[in-house]
Amino acid sequence: MAVIARRLVFFVITLWAALTINFFLPRLMPGGPVLAMMSRFRGHVTPQAMRSLELAFGVDIHENLLAQYIQYLGDIAQGRFGLSVSFFPVPVAQILMQALPWTLGLIGVTTIISFALGTLIGMVAAWRRGGLADSVLPPVLVVVSAFPYFWFGLICIYLFSAGLGWFPSGFAYDLGSPVALSWSFAGQVLRHAALPAFTITITSIGGWLLTMRNNMIATLSEDYVRMARAKGLSPLRIMVLYAGRNAVLPNITGFALSLGFVLSGALLTEIVFTYPGLGYLLYQAVVGEDYPLMQAIFLLITVAVLAAVLLADVANVLLDPRTRGHQYR
Amino acid sequence: MDRSTAVDGPTGHVRGGAVRLSPLGRVGAAVLANRKAAAGALLLALFTAVALLAPLIAPYDPEASDFLPTAPPSAAHWLGTTSLGQDVLSQVIWGARPSLVIGLIAGIVATVISILVGVTAAYRGGLPDLLLSLATDVFLVLPALPLMIVIAAYLKGSGTWVLIAVIVVTGWAFGARQLRAQALSLRGREFLEAARVRGERGSYVIVCEMLPTMTSLIAANVLGAALYAVLAAAGLQFLGLGDINAISWGSMLYWAQNNEALQTGAPLWAIVPGLCIALLGAALALLNYAFDELSNPALRAARRARGRRAP
Amino acid sequence: MIGFLRIPGSARRPAWPAALLVAAIVLSSTGAGARTAVATRAAVAPVAIKRGGTLKIVTELGALWSCNFSPFVPPVNATPDSWGFIYEPLYFVNGFAKPGMPVETGMLATSYRWGAGARTLTFTLRPGVRWSDGQPLTAADVVFTFNMIKQYPALDLAGAWQVLTSVAQQGTDKVVMTLKPGAVPSFPSIAEQTYIVAQHIWSRVGNPTTYVDKAPVGTGPVLMQQCTPQNITYVRNPDYWQPGRPYIDKILFPAYTSNPPANLDLSRDPGDWGGQFMPSIQSYYIAKDPQYRHYWFPPASNNDVFINLTRAPLSARALRQAMVYAIDKQRVSLIGEYGYEPPADQTGVLLPVFGRWYDKALADSYGYRYDPQKAISLLQQAGFTRGSSGIFQTKDGKPLSFSMIVIAGNTDSVACVKIVSDDLRKVGIDVKIEALSGDAFNARLFTGDYDLAWSGVGGGITPYYELRNLLDSANTAPIGKTAATNWERYRSAEADGLFDAFAHTTDSAKQRKIMDQIENVMLRDVPVIPVVQGVWWFQWSDRVFVGWPTPQNPYANPCPYCAPDLDIVINNLHLR
Repeated sequence: MAVIARRLVFFVITLWAALTINFFLPRLMPGGPVLAMMSRFRGHVTPQAMRSLELAFGVDIHENLLAQYIQYLGDIAQGRFGLSVSFFPVPVAQILMQALPWTLGLIGVTTIISFALGTLIGMVAAWRRGGLADSVLPPVLVVVSAFPYFWFGLICIYLFSAGLGWFPSGFAYDLGSPVALSWSFAGQVLRHAALPAFTITITSIGGWLLTMRNNMIATLSEDYVRMARAKGLSPLRIMVLYAGRNAVLPNITGFALSLGFVLSGALLTEIVFTYPGLGYLLYQAVVGEDYPLMQAIFLLITVAVLAAVLLADVANVLLDPRTRGHQYR
Repeated sequence: MDRSTAVDGPTGHVRGGAVRLSPLGRVGAAVLANRKAAAGALLLALFTAVALLAPLIAPYDPEASDFLPTAPPSAAHWLGTTSLGQDVLSQVIWGARPSLVIGLIAGIVATVISILVGVTAAYRGGLPDLLLSLATDVFLVLPALPLMIVIAAYLKGSGTWVLIAVIVVTGWAFGARQLRAQALSLRGREFLEAARVRGERGSYVIVCEMLPTMTSLIAANVLGAALYAVLAAAGLQFLGLGDINAISWGSMLYWAQNNEALQTGAPLWAIVPGLCIALLGAALALLNYAFDELSNPALRAARRARGRRAP
Repeated sequence: MIGFLRIPGSARRPAWPAALLVAAIVLSSTGAGARTAVATRAAVAPVAIKRGGTLKIVTELGALWSCNFSPFVPPVNATPDSWGFIYEPLYFVNGFAKPGMPVETGMLATSYRWGAGARTLTFTLRPGVRWSDGQPLTAADVVFTFNMIKQYPALDLAGAWQVLTSVAQQGTDKVVMTLKPGAVPSFPSIAEQTYIVAQHIWSRVGNPTTYVDKAPVGTGPVLMQQCTPQNITYVRNPDYWQPGRPYIDKILFPAYTSNPPANLDLSRDPGDWGGQFMPSIQSYYIAKDPQYRHYWFPPASNNDVFINLTRAPLSARALRQAMVYAIDKQRVSLIGEYGYEPPADQTGVLLPVFGRWYDKALADSYGYRYDPQKAISLLQQAGFTRGSSGIFQTKDGKPLSFSMIVIAGNTDSVACVKIVSDDLRKVGIDVKIEALSGDAFNARLFTGDYDLAWSGVGGGITPYYELRNLLDSANTAPIGKTAATNWERYRSAEADGLFDAFAHTTDSAKQRKIMDQIENVMLRDVPVIPVVQGVWWFQWSDRVFVGWPTPQNPYANPCPYCAPDLDIVINNLHLR
């Protein structure tokens, strides 16, 4: 369809704009990777040595900016991400690959779970206004979602890990355990992920719940819902297929965005729970002015979010005829 | 817009017993009628009062590090002292100010930008829509952390304004998308067609016809943006990227965590500021209930009838 | 939160990466300085040493592991993962046994000899050492390592080639090095801080600067078994050149990204090797098992207030001297560092460990102490007048208002800086704190874009190293260019001459006289103000493992991030 084609073009243009910003933003930061390296060596390396290091990084700051920019675009197109500065000389791709599965696993799965649960509960709460689900669950979960995440995580560790000893206090699996596809390893991963997943889910459900409930309430007052009720259709069917399906539409975009942002990891989660994910890598890269690593992670996030947005828009167009952009006559 | 009929004099009483309230009065009534919203409003008022009255009610200067460090709660220090020897209670009281300021300012500014961009894009369509949506998406993927460092470097690190700037710049895009989506779904509606046929200007259509229908979402956006601002500010301060010199709940958590207050016998230092942030956030979230009631007639029907006319 | 990356609550270790410490051989190194020894034995000599056990190292890394074991890359946050574990140097120099009189122990070499005028240095290699792939260690490996470093200057982390002119093999087991004059203090860079790699592996890697050493082959006591971003597992090297050692089976080295989780683990586990800054260590750590748990924080190098000497009015000596009287170092130590880091002396000499270098009479003649009244009177004598707000002004009416930069992520540094700025404000000098992220801080510090800064340089086994880093004009640069360690931009021909003279003599009496004059420079000119003495972090429990270095038996630097000392510790630990 023309609409979808237009969205694709739009996607490409936005991607280019975002990449350009991602190129310039790190270079606006004070310092730079050379200084970062310099402080690691703490001045015990001669100027010739520094120069050879600069060349090894591939960050030749003596080239003009435009040439670097073109080089950057070319490298991205060919998937060449270069060597990390803070983990010099390990290639950026290798570092990312090690952290990616943990982030996708923990953050991705919990995002999906909290969206699903929140939407479901919000739908039921709106349907049975004044009932138990509406009067108890939403307020409680909404309040919990206002908790600062890291504080809640620390308290959970204090209570459940340090205090009761039910869960480990950090890391993705038992230290020193071999990484293998086995039941025992899977068990470890689940046990270590339980507390972070719990804290993330609990603190994000409230948001989904509230918006779903609000949308649902608005939808329930629509004429076609009344019509469906009048027709005598089963309440479950009305709730889900008529009202719910339409009420969830504004949330789809939000959900897609959240999925896209999964790749930025959850920095605070990873700090509090010592989880080896992308969030902490990104933080490290930013604070250490590691241009190659920073740009690679930004690229991942940009592509993921924009792709998610594209998919969400396509879904919206397919699911909601009203948005098919007809012009006023 | 108040097409009252049988209004009886300046008190506004309508013959027949139904009370006709001004818009502000309706807000107040909605808040009071809904227990949850009332709780939220009360909390917000409480924090505002604490923030305003801080110089009067705080027992000590929050910066004064003259006391015994890491002391447990006592009559002189209800919440104990920090590892630098400062009074925790005074810090909690004074810490309300930055949190409220950042939350409200950043929340409101971000939402205003969201509305301007999102609704305009939806209404105008075509090239303006394309450009505004482009800007929205670009800002959506803008990474907050390096932006924070860049802004801090250029503003020479003045903490609170840097935080507000970063939160606004990174926060408006999400709401803009949502508002645009909802505005798009309204675009084909009959009442808008009617307004256009009547010859009303575009800005009138947006402000007086579209926005009121979207008040629920807008209110949710303001409160959501404020909540996001409060939590984002707390998170950044927790990482040590806020203003080290200013006392705020987030920076208290930063110091408490780095001195491992929970484990070393000063748990209140870590628990109380976080609790305050949580309660402030909860207040904002609970207030959402009032705005539902206010803007959506269907919600009012669910309550016991009080003689109010349905619009 | 970061050696070059500061993360929240982290990097509470001396600014100098442990392994780049340049230790000194002070006494009688000319002529026959031959030492022959094997690794020092632990003081405890049980009847039968129990073998086995898994040791866990708990120290905050502030990052995730990158699993690159190349010894030519600066360790992340000054925490080595291959130095001492897998790769070893020629000699181990212990500066802790008798402070000021270091004890040398041969590792890959068994003896060394200085030639005439200290212009040549000959090492005799230990026979029977094997690489972990079974090949024998030969003199060719040593020569290859040094020449590879010469060819790729980026590998020269220890700065060995700043004093070497050539390295060649002699016979089957000797290596002869020729040196520039005045090279004696650099012995540790060559012998202890340069790690030897295998020629048969590294000659085939292409560019060693960018080589990722994933499966390292070394001579050390452990082998790298598994590396993931969250943890490294080492296992015992069964063919290690010290027969029977190491006694322990396995070492786990997790990557703690911030302090609190590391401290939590350390406080709960019965037998970890800790290298942590722990707040309230008595209640948090010791009290949980007081019979077996201990801590020892040996001094490392000073934490100083750096003063930008190129900016008026900070260029006025009287102002700087007044600031020394204004700062309550005892309080900074107690409140900012929980009392773990003792107050420093204005001479920059660590006390009491370097007591034999300290010119007490000279220091007393200056009489620096905490005395705010004296600070105020000094300022008044210098011509500053106190304004109505309580802040002093220069003769032109400019207020004494400065900014002090500190790294935001180090809460203890920030705490110290708060107290220092409070103290200065009390005597009428206004100081605003700017907490910056790691690289913003470094950028401004190195290029001289600051008024005051809180930082430190590395030290060594005599005060010579720290003071040379601070004062020698070779280590500085003009404003706008990056300076190595002399960030306050102190330049004087007098100081340069003193350091040069020190390096060219091995007569200990002469060296002490020269050191006195260097201390005078610190006292008279106050280019920086040492406030507290930074320490190495070390906690241990005897419940599971014994054989630790202790203050009573300081056979090595005990911290788990100090190489190559950790090699010695690994070889001495065993199950209780």
